[in-house]
Amino acid sequence: MITAPGLLGMNRRNIDYILSNNSRKFYPLVDNKLLTKQLLEQHGIPCPMLYFEIKHNFELKLLRELKHMKEFVVKPARGSAGRGILPITEQIGKKWKTAKGELLSKEDVEYHVSNILAGLYSLGGADDHAFLEYYVRSHPIFRPISYQGVPDIRLIIYRGIPIISMLRLPTKESGGRANLHQGAVGAGLDMRDGITIGGVHRDRLIDNHPDTDTKIAGIRIPFWNDILEIGARLYDIFKLGYIGADFVIDQLLGPLILELNARPGLSIQLANREGLRPCLDIIDKMLGPKPVENELSPEKRLRIFREMLAEVNS
Amino acid sequence: MNKKVYFAAFLLIVITAALITSRIFYGGQTIRPEFKRSLWRVNIIMDLMGTGSRAKVRFTLPKETERQTIYNEHFNNEGMVFYIRDRENTKNRIGFWRSELLNGSKTIKYTFSVLAKSADYQIPAGLVRPKKPLEFYPAEFQPWLLPSIEIQSQDPRINQYLSKTISKNDAVGIAVQKIFTFVTTKVKYQSEKGSKDATSTLDQLVADCGGQARLFVALSRAAGIPSRIVGGVILENGVKKITHVWAENYIGNQWIPFDVVNRHYAYMPANYLELYRGDYILIKHVGLSSFNYFFSMGRETIPPVDQPWSLYSLPLHFQNTIYALLLLPIGTLVVGFARVIIGIPTFGTFAPILLALAFREISVFVGVSCVTGVVFLGWLMRTLLDYFKILIIPRLSIVITTVVIVVIAIMMTGFHSGKREMLYVSLFPIVIITWIIERFAVIQVEDGTKAAFQGALGTTVVAIGAYYLMEFDFVKKYLFAFPEILLTIIAIQLLLGRYTGIRLTELFRFNELKKVYGKKQS
Repeated sequence: MITAPGLLGMNRRNIDYILSNNSRKFYPLVDNKLLTKQLLEQHGIPCPMLYFEIKHNFELKLLRELKHMKEFVVKPARGSAGRGILPITEQIGKKWKTAKGELLSKEDVEYHVSNILAGLYSLGGADDHAFLEYYVRSHPIFRPISYQGVPDIRLIIYRGIPIISMLRLPTKESGGRANLHQGAVGAGLDMRDGITIGGVHRDRLIDNHPDTDTKIAGIRIPFWNDILEIGARLYDIFKLGYIGADFVIDQLLGPLILELNARPGLSIQLANREGLRPCLDIIDKMLGPKPVENELSPEKRLRIFREMLAEVNS
Repeated sequence: MNKKVYFAAFLLIVITAALITSRIFYGGQTIRPEFKRSLWRVNIIMDLMGTGSRAKVRFTLPKETERQTIYNEHFNNEGMVFYIRDRENTKNRIGFWRSELLNGSKTIKYTFSVLAKSADYQIPAGLVRPKKPLEFYPAEFQPWLLPSIEIQSQDPRINQYLSKTISKNDAVGIAVQKIFTFVTTKVKYQSEKGSKDATSTLDQLVADCGGQARLFVALSRAAGIPSRIVGGVILENGVKKITHVWAENYIGNQWIPFDVVNRHYAYMPANYLELYRGDYILIKHVGLSSFNYFFSMGRETIPPVDQPWSLYSLPLHFQNTIYALLLLPIGTLVVGFARVIIGIPTFGTFAPILLALAFREISVFVGVSCVTGVVFLGWLMRTLLDYFKILIIPRLSIVITTVVIVVIAIMMTGFHSGKREMLYVSLFPIVIITWIIERFAVIQVEDGTKAAFQGALGTTVVAIGAYYLMEFDFVKKYLFAFPEILLTIIAIQLLLGRYTGIRLTELFRFNELKKVYGKKQS
């Protein structure tokens, strides 16, 4: 068997973490963004507001409501890796301007929505629903280190406890999306205070953002403790033992959960310049056998989180 | 969890081993005790060359007799139409290969295993020769009593020699003995071209096996004993072209063999393979510009398998289907290894395997060129269609339709420019390669063009790997003889399914981390 010290590979992630901790029946809760949103709202966890949902082609006429809307985001309910997301930032006459600066007519938006309905962006090409939601305006602290789009914070939560995190910064190459494999920059975070350490771009370690050439390290994520607190509450809602939560920080509303991911990627290790397995092993040691995580309160989880940090850094 | 998986895998391997062992040692009772002595694997390879006309080849296939068992037959017909007909009277089993239009060369391979036993026959003493044999013996013996073109048993010279050799009241056993002695002592052996009939052999007293056997048969028929030519091959290690002919006389309710050339009297050695009965030609062909064949024989290496439960006992046309099916799990092994251990991206699990099966029909080179062409075409079409803004499903349909148009155009062009072999491509590879384009387009939409090209490259590479493993003779033979090996494949996949090591490609992906680790340690 080939191993690398501390590194979590795809095989081990799938077998030991995803297959063993994420029960298949809970997948739809995170794979469908509308379901996620509904659950989050029920539990009072902030997320971008849902404007309306389009399930069928004949509902496309609902889009005439667009003329009253200045900024919004069109999303597929089951899209993955940021595909099919169309952020509209401005209304100019009868057209809408996207985050990339293109001008779209109503027909263009309709075409995009019908593509979503046909399953163009969904996992496995199945039919999908589209929805329009609140357009997040990113906190100004991220402006120097992101190119278009909204940077997000990926937090991995193992058995209810936050273990590792990174800030994902859109680039020109990623087309404003925050997915690392599409060319976004990942910046590891010090879990104690939410301050960025260096970055990674296309599997290469970097110090400066490739588009803005600003230093990535040393930025403090606002509302860091709120993010950790929300993260510690997610297990009770979704019952998934290994998930990635994507937070954005709105300049008006503060931290919002954009979406959850039951198969979070492994590049977070590159961004943090360390393997995941020491953290995972410490958590397993501290928690003992399953299913103790069901009985923990969010406060207790955060306490375990701090103990884990102490142990990792010792 | 791991323990349970290891146990299940172990159990499956043990079951495989047990099934194989039991089938070798307790299954085929009829075959096993002798398989070391006279078990042969025979390949018959025929090279055909045609110049664009109808072609037909017939070859008499061996059949089961009391002393020979044929099994593990395999045909590689290279796309020619193949069928088998049984002859009513002789019970000969004749294989026909046909092609409506044969341009260029084809190589037909026919392979089988044979277990041949030696046999000693007793000629009952005092058996009276019937005065009117045609009435005495049933009607189906007529051809073996009446003269034929090269066996002129009613020729006056034959009768003259016969009456010199045997006396009227000699019993069957004595008459045959005298005829046998006459031919073996008077006729000299000399290898010759073409066939020599009975009377010429008698006139010249020099002949090869054919002439000698014909003389023996002619004399026997003249003496009122049903007699016929038997053709076959003497099994020996190596490659050869020479076939052999001997005779059989019907004495006391059974056919008894006589080989005048090698002086086997009422005896068949274990290395005689019988192919046909009657004075026929082993191979006939029509419409070929050149034809060549040879036998390649060797002692069998695969132990014979329990016959009723062997896949070889199935009708031949089903065997090829099962053959292809068996190769699928072999392909999954390669794909599993490539994805889990190495980490090569492919279009799903099935695509590389199907592509490998397509390679089997159209060769790797043609296959890879087709995939490249089709992927490039699809990419071009997609870029074009993006402009029109069309929904995904119709868009894919348009891409596939375009590919079909191009394939048909290529075939038509090939046909009209005289490259008719282009028409021989069967539906299967075309469908597979066309389907690749759908996977390509979907990945391109989902993960971008780079990922799609990576996937296409990965799929092709893994397909080539799977193809070579599938073509590996050892794998093919053993899997077909012992399909229980599939259980072991499940066992391997179980183990692969619990493999938690780092994928090889991940080592490259996380290469940068090494620098950091290095710094931390120093």
